[in-house]
Amino acid sequence: MAKLLMFHGQECPHCRKMMPRVERLEAETGLRVDRREVWHDEANQDLMRGYKDALKPKCGGQLRVPAFLNAETHDAFCGEVEYETLKDWALRQ
Amino acid sequence: MEKRHWRCFVCNDIHHGVAPPGLCPTCKVPNAYVEVSAAEARRIVGGGADTSLAPDEFRTALERFAAGNEFRLNPDRERVDLLLRGVFENERRYGLKFCPCRVRTKDWEEDLRIVCPCNFTVHETYQGAPGGACWCGLFVRRT
Repeated sequence: MAKLLMFHGQECPHCRKMMPRVERLEAETGLRVDRREVWHDEANQDLMRGYKDALKPKCGGQLRVPAFLNAETHDAFCGEVEYETLKDWALRQ
Repeated sequence: MEKRHWRCFVCNDIHHGVAPPGLCPTCKVPNAYVEVSAAEARRIVGGGADTSLAPDEFRTALERFAAGNEFRLNPDRERVDLLLRGVFENERRYGLKFCPCRVRTKDWEEDLRIVCPCNFTVHETYQGAPGGACWCGLFVRRT
């Protein structure tokens, strides 16, 4: 199974919007998304920075959250999207 | 271009830039700036006291900043409150008001670009975007 990561911030409104969609995705598809909060956890920040080459080109040249990443293929996207868009991305992985 | 610190010899205004202002914006004296060290500039600006803004003061500062621009603070109060909590938490932890919707790269110059308010007017989420907003949604274009 693909290893899917979600980088998010505790005080990021986009991230809060995406959380229930991620939960729904997991419930409907059986996929697991490893959620990593970045502003209150330096280890998770370091982990996200480790994927900067994959994330920045898809995130306006910055390390934006929420960011979704396939840790193996490095396919990624950033931002708040509708549930179906998230699901389509996740099922392609 | 390396930025340096400059002090007005009349009113002690501090400027950080590649060159001193020709006219002090506070006391209006021409050719008033002399170069000082970063440490000296910090001491002058800090005044030896805790000069950090309270969240309400920062909100007011943002509203005043937006008043002269084509954007405004997001009318969604709950969203703004959440973002400001993040901004202040980041200042407490990391020393600057970093955007809660982006992460530091640990490159100083690059990270200065995510200090709130950032120059979001060049971002694709604002420039040319219908209902343009900064990435986090703290500022939105006036309609």
